[in-house]
Amino acid sequence: MTEKFIKKCCLAACVLFAFGMPLVVHSPTYLHISIMLLLFAYMTTSWNLVGGFAGVLPLGHSVFVGIGAYTSTILWLQYSISPWIGMLVGGVLSGIVGFLIGKPTLKMRGAYFALSTMAFVEGVRVVVENLPYLGPFKLNGPRGLNIPPIEAGHNDFFAFQFAGKEPYYYIILTMLVAVLALTWYVSRSKLGYSLIAGGEEPEAAEALGVNVAKCKVWAMVMSAFLTSLAGTFMAQLTLFIYPKSVLTLDLSFELAFIALIGGRGSIAGPVIGALLLRPVSEFSRIYLSDSLPGMHLILYGVILIVVMLLQPSGLTDPLTKKFNAIVKFIAKKTNKKKDFNDEYA
Amino acid sequence: MDFSYLIQDIISGILMGSIYGLIALGLTLVFGVLKVINFAHGSFLMVGMYAAYWAVSITGLHPYVALVIVVPVMFFFGYYLQNFLIKPIFVAEKDVREPTTVIIVTTGIWYILDNITLLFFGPDYRALTPNPLKGKMMEFGDIFISIPKFYGFLIAIGTALLLYLFLQKTRTGRAIRATSLDRDAASLMGINQWKIFNVAFGIGTAVAGISGVVLTTFYNVYPTVGVPFDVKSFVIVVLGGLGSIPGAIIGGVIIGLIESIGPTFMTSTWTEAIVYVLFLLVLFVKPSGLFGQKYDW
Repeated sequence: MTEKFIKKCCLAACVLFAFGMPLVVHSPTYLHISIMLLLFAYMTTSWNLVGGFAGVLPLGHSVFVGIGAYTSTILWLQYSISPWIGMLVGGVLSGIVGFLIGKPTLKMRGAYFALSTMAFVEGVRVVVENLPYLGPFKLNGPRGLNIPPIEAGHNDFFAFQFAGKEPYYYIILTMLVAVLALTWYVSRSKLGYSLIAGGEEPEAAEALGVNVAKCKVWAMVMSAFLTSLAGTFMAQLTLFIYPKSVLTLDLSFELAFIALIGGRGSIAGPVIGALLLRPVSEFSRIYLSDSLPGMHLILYGVILIVVMLLQPSGLTDPLTKKFNAIVKFIAKKTNKKKDFNDEYA
Repeated sequence: MDFSYLIQDIISGILMGSIYGLIALGLTLVFGVLKVINFAHGSFLMVGMYAAYWAVSITGLHPYVALVIVVPVMFFFGYYLQNFLIKPIFVAEKDVREPTTVIIVTTGIWYILDNITLLFFGPDYRALTPNPLKGKMMEFGDIFISIPKFYGFLIAIGTALLLYLFLQKTRTGRAIRATSLDRDAASLMGINQWKIFNVAFGIGTAVAGISGVVLTTFYNVYPTVGVPFDVKSFVIVVLGGLGSIPGAIIGGVIIGLIESIGPTFMTSTWTEAIVYVLFLLVLFVKPSGLFGQKYDW
């Protein structure tokens, strides 16, 4: 067996496990935790397009989640337009907003960029909280919007509402696979190389004729569009959105944490980060928050600090190294057997 | 409109704004030297407030005498925090121009500090007792000035001046400035870069402690008290120019004025939105802030 073959087998096993999981696990709690894990992996992968490759630290991606959630919900509640269409409308809107906010801010140096995206989220949240109506659209201020369930126990694809958790699981899993494929494609495209070059040595990249600013803005637009789709998904999953649930710094921060713990700029990083961090926050919230208030955040903070101290570039690098070593070991073992057989054939 | 209302608003805006400036002062100093946004700054303020609260509650001292206890405690707290948690990241990422990982570490410190406080002291709002300054006012005709805020204003100006003199006149201060300009060149001149980082971080934390003492005299203490001030100080330091001491104070006063004059013309929640809009406008027009240098790293 060659190393490539073993790696392909591992990938196939992962995909098989991911798609087959709901056939075995039926507990809504575990399915919900898995859905949240995939959702955060999806959002972080989208974040990674600009935050990882371009080497900047955007802390305002919850704005795009908010735009996606609010656009599709408003279109559904007021105009009965399917959230599937609203999802795309929200994505396009987010892309435009991403362009408008990215154009001036992406020229700034790291800290200024991080802070201005932060201020942007807070500003948008304050505005949404204070507006009952935005033109003809009902925002409902801090109380948020409630999506009435279609009919209990029924699946309605057009309304993006399903009785069980499984459809949501498969939708977000498909979205994640798609965005991972896109990231893989981008990382091997001219845009990807330009982004990485511009993120590491902007002056050198500029000197070689790369338009760093333009590349970063396009990455931002793409990232905004994709992040926004998750907003619609979130709204349809919880059927209730309000400014503090989708337009918060906490959400933006969490995306950055997951990416940095996993390893920014790598394709698997966000998934690995989500695999490590999401269960911690979900389980500690379930089991610890009653007896020890705030304990889950302490745990979260400790994990962040410990990982950053031991592995500042994230956990993907050491994990892939371990994985490659194991693959090599297996390949060597299996090949040796073959040699032995050849010799005595 | 009655003119004295406007004067009243302006005065309370300047007083509160200078205290915002004092809070932002520590943040701007740390940024100036380490080139790192300290997301835990609001938590340091909260720790300072709890330290002041307990120092006064246990000993019954006058709140401002608590400074004698709070300032050194906070200085060493910051000094060792930088030494053990932040320095290793700098060492590991020596060739990275902007170690954004440090932001994550300071955010981790923020989560831990806020939630440990929640765990030990609960979510209750606590008011300082005994508090001889509570609700005291000076009266000038129609205009009222809150005495704790007025003293806070004096302490803010005094701290800024002292810090300025320290940075200009003393040997350590000059070393701090040299490190903030070019840490490699400063190291070559025999300055221990890591020690300077520790000292600068310690001073930043101590200043957060001073603002904590000032705030406890008229503000409640609770575990997440730092968060709104945290976000406000980010706005202030960017507005005034990251790393600039006068910028922090003046940025603080601008925010204070908007917050106190704004509600006369609109609902007070909208003034918050104006603060962010102004912040973004300043960033777009002059990204280095009002007093920031164009190329500070």
